[in-house]
Amino acid sequence: MRILILIRLSARSVGRNLRRSVLTAAAMVVGLALLILSRALADGTHEQWIDSAVALGVGHVAIQAPGYLETRKLEDRLDAPAAERAVEAVDALFEPALLRAWVPRLSVGGLASSASSALPVQILGVDPALEPSFSALQDRLEEGRYLEPGDRLQAFVGVELARRLELEVGSRFVLTAQTATGDVQGQLVRVVGIFRTAIPEMDEGLIHIPIETAQGWLEAPGAVTGVAMMLETSEATDLAITRLEAALGGDDGLDVLGWEETSPELADAIRIDDVGDYIFHTILFAIVALAILNSVMMAVLGRRREFGILQAMGLTGPETGFVVFFEGLFVTAASGFFGVILGYAVTWGFFGDGLDFSALMDSDMSFSGTIIDPVIYPTFSIDQILVSVYSIVIIGTLASIYPALRATRFDVAEAMKFDR
Amino acid sequence: MKGVHALSAGLFLLFAVGPAAVEAQTAREILDEVDRLMRGESSRGVVSMEITTEHWARKLDMEVWSLGTEYSLVRVQSPPREAGMATLKADQEVWNYLPRVDRTIKVPPSLMMGSWMGSHFTNDDLVKESRIVDDYEFEIAFEGERDGEDIWEFLLIPKPEAPVVWGRVEYEVRKRDKMPTSVRYYDEDGDLARSMEFSGFVTLGGRLVPARMDVIPADKPEERTTLIYHELDFDIGLDESFFSLRNLRARR
Amino acid sequence: MSGDSVWWRVAWRNLWRHRARTLITASGLAFGYLAAVLMIGLTDGMAAELVENGTRLLVGQVQVHADDYLPERNMYRTIGGQDGTDVQGLLDQVEANEDVSNAAARLYGGGLLSSGDETRAGLLLGVDPDRELLVSTLLDGLVEGRLPETGAWELIVGSEMAEQLEVNVGDEVVVVAPAADGSMGNDLFTLVGIFRTGTPGIDANYAMLPLNDLQYLMAMDVTRVHEIVMTVERPWDTQGIAAVLAAELEGSDPAVRVRPWMELRPELFEYVSLFDAANLIIVAIIFVMAVFGVANTMLIGTFERRREFAVVRALGTTPGGVGRTVVYEGIILGTLALMAGALITTPILVWFHNAPPDLSALTSGFSFGGSQWRPILRVEYSWQGPIASAVALFLTSIFAAMYPAWKATRIPPADALADR
Repeated sequence: MRILILIRLSARSVGRNLRRSVLTAAAMVVGLALLILSRALADGTHEQWIDSAVALGVGHVAIQAPGYLETRKLEDRLDAPAAERAVEAVDALFEPALLRAWVPRLSVGGLASSASSALPVQILGVDPALEPSFSALQDRLEEGRYLEPGDRLQAFVGVELARRLELEVGSRFVLTAQTATGDVQGQLVRVVGIFRTAIPEMDEGLIHIPIETAQGWLEAPGAVTGVAMMLETSEATDLAITRLEAALGGDDGLDVLGWEETSPELADAIRIDDVGDYIFHTILFAIVALAILNSVMMAVLGRRREFGILQAMGLTGPETGFVVFFEGLFVTAASGFFGVILGYAVTWGFFGDGLDFSALMDSDMSFSGTIIDPVIYPTFSIDQILVSVYSIVIIGTLASIYPALRATRFDVAEAMKFDR
Repeated sequence: MKGVHALSAGLFLLFAVGPAAVEAQTAREILDEVDRLMRGESSRGVVSMEITTEHWARKLDMEVWSLGTEYSLVRVQSPPREAGMATLKADQEVWNYLPRVDRTIKVPPSLMMGSWMGSHFTNDDLVKESRIVDDYEFEIAFEGERDGEDIWEFLLIPKPEAPVVWGRVEYEVRKRDKMPTSVRYYDEDGDLARSMEFSGFVTLGGRLVPARMDVIPADKPEERTTLIYHELDFDIGLDESFFSLRNLRARR
Repeated sequence: MSGDSVWWRVAWRNLWRHRARTLITASGLAFGYLAAVLMIGLTDGMAAELVENGTRLLVGQVQVHADDYLPERNMYRTIGGQDGTDVQGLLDQVEANEDVSNAAARLYGGGLLSSGDETRAGLLLGVDPDRELLVSTLLDGLVEGRLPETGAWELIVGSEMAEQLEVNVGDEVVVVAPAADGSMGNDLFTLVGIFRTGTPGIDANYAMLPLNDLQYLMAMDVTRVHEIVMTVERPWDTQGIAAVLAAELEGSDPAVRVRPWMELRPELFEYVSLFDAANLIIVAIIFVMAVFGVANTMLIGTFERRREFAVVRALGTTPGGVGRTVVYEGIILGTLALMAGALITTPILVWFHNAPPDLSALTSGFSFGGSQWRPILRVEYSWQGPIASAVALFLTSIFAAMYPAWKATRIPPADALADR
């Protein structure tokens, strides 16, 4: 019974000293909001990173023949029946929130020759209908157009290759490579478009041609060297792998690989970044904790008279402490609530459309957005938000103990004497 | 070298057959036959090759054996620094022998972008099987006198999907003895990419052939590679077993 | 009354009388300063690590070539053309520049490497092993074997190349490369080491051998090199350093072109700039929290002093006097607290800078982009960071105190004392 009275006393006290309560809460609210913001940006950055990198590679998840990852040779390809099974397995991922894009690919190393010169190249047979939603290569278009369904002898090449072979849109050149049967075969193609990524290896060494043309040329009808998939979020990678393996029913001839396997350098880079993240959040957390503690302690200094009055009214030492503690809890709880709202609001408000980092960069640098899209979209993860909230609540609660303790042991008469 | 050799020999045989105007259709039939003949014909020759580039000039003497279009062996005789170097093409595989280190290396076809032995021929020229019939359409572009010589000029246009880099090839042939005098390779924009000149017509191995061939890149006219045949014999009874790795390594 | 000095003395005494309050505020200021400055130092450190790791792998920080060498990399266009140059003299001249740390000469060749049945095209890099060790970290990354010795016909290759050639340390490798006199340079080499950078483009294509041996293979005189590569004292300042170097080399006998790494590896520059931009956000967040924490604490503190101000005013102090007291308190407090903060921060910065703590216990080291990435807390000095932080926090403490003081002085003393 008494407890309820004490609780109401706490609540009313909070209300009556609104300014003090708000100011104490403010430290927690702002701290929590900043924690949420920084986590969302950090997670968003990682996500952006992974997205950009896997779009240049084989996506978040890939299905390949065993051994292809090491050898990258045509002989380690998936022939028509296996390729079909792989494509069918992709169906298992056809949920709106899971699969973003998928593409079949036939990749081979060969020679590109023109009337002027010849260069070694990596030739990628792609599906013109599916490829644009997967890789961003067509966004780097400089001249001409990207491949379209129905194209046969069209090739999409980089600026450096075009320059060295003296090619323009429409020019003919010949691709030479070793086919599936071991013969060396030439294939005529014409430039349909030219791209610029500013990455020399790509501008000089990468060519896209229609996959059916590649299959015909290399005498490997219906074959692929891999099926690559982009997911909506990299966190779904493990789920996707599980589903695909289930769909393939443990077929030995097909490997399902996640991006951490296909791009180990990327995985390492993320891990490095995590270290930086960890440090940053530790420091931020420390400052937030300090700010909260400082606010509470500062507030306590002015409340001695108040504690004295409470005891003079008849509350025992422990009861006084209880009232003060509960005040702290109320404030903490409210802070948690408002902190999350503010965190969301600030993040969405300023950065909902994505934070364009290039605006913050040195202005005499022209940004070509080659490797990383400079726009970062904040990513909210419930786990992270809960961690932040819990931390703040714990600090707030612990911080409330201090004034509560001070409130319990008191010489009432002394306290009432001077307002110190 | 192979490709050019086959092309010139082929057209030569073509004109050894019949007079006057040649229809494209008949040309194809004849070349088909020539192609079949070439596949069985063996030859041996002694050639010297002089190369002039922006940075240096060299001369190599070589012995060349071939069987049809699929087998060939070239061995360098001089200068001493490179004597014994040899290139073997057998079926789809190309091997190089390096006497200095006594090792043989296998060259995968996709690595053949460089020039062959520093000349203006590419490894591709050496290796590529002639498929003139499959890859080109023919017509007579010009018939008459040029530079005091009565000539035919044949225009070879690559078929729509033929894997050739040229836009067109012009072949000039002397009417009086059906000897080719020049071949010009153009890219698709109509720019000359390289030209070959034939001269020094003599009888070797019982046939009239152009003993001297100059290859001139169009973008660097001061550079050239000159081939001179000193000896040439046909139908010498070689078979595939001759074109072996053991022979590749033999010193003579 | 002697004007101002009274208020200073009052301010001083106020601070010492309310020790708890002073201490709390001061700690907020001092630790806020520590956090902000440390964060700036750490992010600068991370950016510097990034630049150094990225550039020291292979590209170095400044490169010098013949005017017409790039981008074609025509073999004949050595520094000084066919006549070559005094390589040692050029190296000495470059190293005489105080901003240059180390320099080395290199020769590039392209050719075939063969072992048994396997042949691969490779990029042959001729280096002076002793000098190169000081300039690039690639030679640190030997996973097997040792560095090649000049004159012994030894070389090292990348791990992927070694796999493709199916060779181990101790095996022989045939090297064939077009020579400068038109002949085919060829020789037998012994594989004495294998490196792994983690970058497939390097591990699959590069072979390194002593400079003089490659010169011999390519029939080039010892005076002929393609590239002088060097590291500088302050990698982020490279553009400026390169400009100075270019001016120094202007008009010297072989006409050369000097390029900073930003031009040679624009994608790395972009990446680091992006990283920098992200750091701005991080530092801003820490800053905001620090400032907010101090402001919050001051606000609470000053609001709690209403009664005190009321008493003082009842005794006859003017509102202006109260105001000045508060401001002076802020100034003294700010100065002392920030000095304390600097006293704590500086040793930490110096310590981290010279002996960065290793976080290997928390996350293992790994290799990325070529070198071993150590998870260390590296710190770089700058003047802007500490000064900006100090100024911002100082001003915050003053203004945050002024507002409530001003509000307090507007209430008539009697009302304040009566708690109305």
